[in-house]
Amino acid sequence: MIHKVRVAPRNSKIEKRDAFKKVKVYRLEGISLEDTKILAEKVLSEELTQICSIDKQLVKEKVIEVAYKPGVMNPEVSSIMKAASDLGIKLLAADSSYEYVLPINQHNLYNPLTEYIMEEEPETLVIKGVPGKTEIVPLRKMNEEELLEISKDKLFLNKDEMKVIQNYFEDLKRDPTDLELETLAQTWSEHCAHKTFKAKIILDGKEKEPLFKRLKDEALKHDKNIVSAFVDNAGVMDFYDGWAINGKAETHNAPSAIEPYGGAMTGSGGVFRDVVATGQGAKAVVSTDIFCLADPNMDKAKLPEGTLPPDYILKRVVAAVRDYGNRIGIPTNNGSFHFHDDFRAKPIVLVGAYGILPKDKAQKGEPRIGDIAVVIGGKTGRDGIHGATFSSGEMSDRTISVNATAVQIGNAIEEKITFDAILEARDKNLITAVQDLGAGGFSSAIGEMGEITGVTVHLEKAPLKYQGLSPWEIWVSESQERMLIILSPNNLNDFLKICKKYNVEATEIAKFDGTKRLQVFYGKEKVGDLDMKFLYGGLPQRVMKAISPRHSERSEEYNLYPSAMPQDDNGWIKLLEKTLSSGDVNSKESILRLYDHNVQGTSALPPFVGVDMDGPTDAAVIKPLLDKPYGLIVSHGLSPKKTLEDSYEGTIWSATEAISNYAAVGGDYKEACLINNYIWPFPDPQWLGKLDSCVDGVVDFMKALKIPVISGKDSLSATYRSSDGIVLHSPPTLAMSVFGKIPDVKKTVSSDFKKVGSVIVLVGKQDIRVDLKVLPKVLEAMYKAINTGKVLASHDISEGGLVTAIFEMCVGGNCGAFIKVESGELLLETAGCFIVEVENEETANELFKGIPYKILGTTTKDEKLSVEGLFSADMKQLQEAWSKPMKEIFGWNR
Amino acid sequence: MEQVKVCILQSDGTNCDNELFYAFKKVGGSPEFVHVNELRDKSRSLKDFDILALPGGFSYGDDIASGKILAIELISFLKAEIEKFKSGGGLIIGICNGFQTLVRTGLLPFGNLGKMDATLDNNDSGHFECRWIDLKSEKSKCVFLKNSYKGHFAVNHGEGKFFSQPSVIKKIEDQNLVVFRYVDESGNPTQEYPENPNGSINAIAGVTDPTGRILGMMPHPEKFVDSTQYPNWRRETLRQAQDKPHGLFIFEDMVNYVKEDK
Repeated sequence: MIHKVRVAPRNSKIEKRDAFKKVKVYRLEGISLEDTKILAEKVLSEELTQICSIDKQLVKEKVIEVAYKPGVMNPEVSSIMKAASDLGIKLLAADSSYEYVLPINQHNLYNPLTEYIMEEEPETLVIKGVPGKTEIVPLRKMNEEELLEISKDKLFLNKDEMKVIQNYFEDLKRDPTDLELETLAQTWSEHCAHKTFKAKIILDGKEKEPLFKRLKDEALKHDKNIVSAFVDNAGVMDFYDGWAINGKAETHNAPSAIEPYGGAMTGSGGVFRDVVATGQGAKAVVSTDIFCLADPNMDKAKLPEGTLPPDYILKRVVAAVRDYGNRIGIPTNNGSFHFHDDFRAKPIVLVGAYGILPKDKAQKGEPRIGDIAVVIGGKTGRDGIHGATFSSGEMSDRTISVNATAVQIGNAIEEKITFDAILEARDKNLITAVQDLGAGGFSSAIGEMGEITGVTVHLEKAPLKYQGLSPWEIWVSESQERMLIILSPNNLNDFLKICKKYNVEATEIAKFDGTKRLQVFYGKEKVGDLDMKFLYGGLPQRVMKAISPRHSERSEEYNLYPSAMPQDDNGWIKLLEKTLSSGDVNSKESILRLYDHNVQGTSALPPFVGVDMDGPTDAAVIKPLLDKPYGLIVSHGLSPKKTLEDSYEGTIWSATEAISNYAAVGGDYKEACLINNYIWPFPDPQWLGKLDSCVDGVVDFMKALKIPVISGKDSLSATYRSSDGIVLHSPPTLAMSVFGKIPDVKKTVSSDFKKVGSVIVLVGKQDIRVDLKVLPKVLEAMYKAINTGKVLASHDISEGGLVTAIFEMCVGGNCGAFIKVESGELLLETAGCFIVEVENEETANELFKGIPYKILGTTTKDEKLSVEGLFSADMKQLQEAWSKPMKEIFGWNR
Repeated sequence: MEQVKVCILQSDGTNCDNELFYAFKKVGGSPEFVHVNELRDKSRSLKDFDILALPGGFSYGDDIASGKILAIELISFLKAEIEKFKSGGGLIIGICNGFQTLVRTGLLPFGNLGKMDATLDNNDSGHFECRWIDLKSEKSKCVFLKNSYKGHFAVNHGEGKFFSQPSVIKKIEDQNLVVFRYVDESGNPTQEYPENPNGSINAIAGVTDPTGRILGMMPHPEKFVDSTQYPNWRRETLRQAQDKPHGLFIFEDMVNYVKEDK
């Protein structure tokens, strides 16, 4: 028997303002009416502000009910069960959902991937099922066509790879189990194996070294600060006093394209786990969010079939960052938005996270024979199956129906308690290694950890969300909030005690055994047996042809020049308003106020500062150890538009923009490490040629600055194909993230103008193409200048150019500026240039001697932005244009 | 000198515990992390502490309502222990989610453990807010706050609107239980957004109970105990005022009160 409790707000202001009325519905199974009444009164509703009913409608109007599909995890359920249990009421099962009062005028009320309209009352909330049997796949007798057919939509391997697998089993004189094929498919997926980055490249007929090797070889030349690079879930660099800091950025594009809320949430959850699952465990201290989307106001008729409207995606990804980041308690302090209509099928959702850990625990211990693997955190369900292989494939209009299971909903609290337990266990020296259960699930995590010794797994021990999963499903499920802990059996008891304290479920699931094989059991049945050497060494290296980008594609018109310069004040003001309100430039304050950016109490430079705290800053400064002055600086840069135009120059621009944001706040570029993320269309020879020149750009950038890339990821599936032959490539994007250290956060500076009558200086070489010879000198001068304490404010020039940088500094300072520049310079987006505020001209001459700089003008009390001989614009008016677009989407009560 | 022992209570989803620990430590207190499960299984006890501090966060995900599940847990398992702690002279502070929990246990505003008299409802803005606001304390029943203060505080919440029926609000006001209000630039209580970030009735940001030994507040004093925690610490006009970070006094007053009491 299921009782239904309905709850709605009691005439509050909120209810009246809501675009639609809704009623919360709780279903409680296996308890009496009396107990239902107790729960309704004490737990599910509050008389002061809510009305409530049991087993009857709460509103007179007709309603439709939207619920999570059975099997999709509803994070609230465990809390309902806990509260009931604390009150001595034993629930069999529970669920929650919403009734919406009709008629409703709301687009995209629910996402059919994870939710449905409930029309029939469920008989029970308990999901039952009989586990499927392990199937033998008759691979050996298949012809080429048949091999490709089973690969499509499921394994995503190519013909050569399928044949290598076929040969392996021919040698073994048996056919593979479904679990074995799944293991190989995900281990060899682009997502896990980075086949393109490891491929031999034939560029215009000439062989070139693999992309990954080029990056790694150059990076390791600059190893002063490297603690670990390219080997762990996140790159680690040296910090102070025996501490190290680590960082990672990762996209979650494919799931976010079809379910942005769940997709972006699990993107956050996944990258947080990567940072925590570094070495023997790290504490995540800050996160960044970068989104590349189509214009939210885009004509919906232009949307390809099977894709979601960009305004819906924008709102849902923001909601996801808010709900996941805020709950887990990791501040979101840095990020950006980039708009281009070619992102309409495949947007970019790139989450970065940074952490801190003791330097002597920054390396994973190698499992010894006899060590065990314990899975902790969430239970395993059907969610997220095929995530790794799915994200490696191109998206098509079939994606939504075929890959429904690839999307998951995150539970931040489950992940938080898992982290809490890991950190306590780490500090008690119980852990050998922490591994994230992400793409590929157990298959990937246990396999990798057992590569050297070999490992025996018992899948029947894995805690399940519901019964009925086949062994292969348990094996590759990517259910969220699970971590794998490798430890000595001697430490198991102490470890389990810690888990119990934090309400974290922990189950021993595998043993490292010295067989050098991966042996998987389900009860007594052996469901998989693969040679580690074949699993990790059997994948043939790809040889890939590339065509270098045509020279003519290197456009001379590389920056945002308006074709004709305005002739009067009015014309200029219109142009400024247009620039400032454009998607990449406009104020994101309304969004940032939804994100918690000072949880943990460590923020020393938040996203917005100034008199009214509305002036945007360049980078996040975090003081991860509350009782020490040491700073962690985090910034990033990218420009899909520029990398689309010229993949090499756009890459240099993006990297320069990233390090300039870092230098603008006072960071010493020599104490920084880089993280690079490549989000690229499917690598046919054309796109691979562009990727090749992008990687060369990153290598040249490392060479010029003598700092390393220490982590990164590629996502080479930014291509969409529809059934009617439409092909859409997202703009190729290199996102560079920077993190580094500074001994004292008090030596950092913010972007808001501090005084009236001080001098505004442009520092850096105003070159459309970045001059990598000059750049290090400029960065060095900026660091030294800020370190003297004589720089009052500093801001990097990026999207929107010089005039936007000065405008934003005036916003922060509640002041104006009077400057003298050529009209052509105003909107130049010259990376590697800075606007700096100093007391007087002598200070500027003293600080910037020997590098390109010029005095532009002064700050003024009068809140006007004036350029001599060109225009004088009212700051209030410009600010209105700048802040309006996002306020309309995310402001008060939106 | 005697230690002032502070129990920093953790549960699933607590996330402002480290900065709260640091704040008490900075003023000479001796904070310790205690998980609610450790109180439930009696491996630790409130009787070893002078101050019980409930940090911010999202206890149990703030499912159903903020602080609700933890409140039920405290009422179900720790009612006697909390009553004893209270009558033994202990002080209690709840910040943000801690305040939401105290209100949902009924401890605030009238000290009726198990009976809710007020609530913290959804912000009028309809969403989570992370911003800095001005706060002013006033003469109240609170036993440990010595002077009146005005300063900048961080708010980080989605459910912070202090709400009750007019008669209850009147009782709270009449008994001098209001400790903090959101104020505008000139220091007057305000209903204007965003100065009053959530639409709290009478701009109420923090309250005490009739004994004056329990303090609950939505803004976060523990996030401004070092100057660099304030976003505008670099602006010269503020450097003077920041000789003492604005949140520090609450922890100083609490710890000093316990010391004098001993």
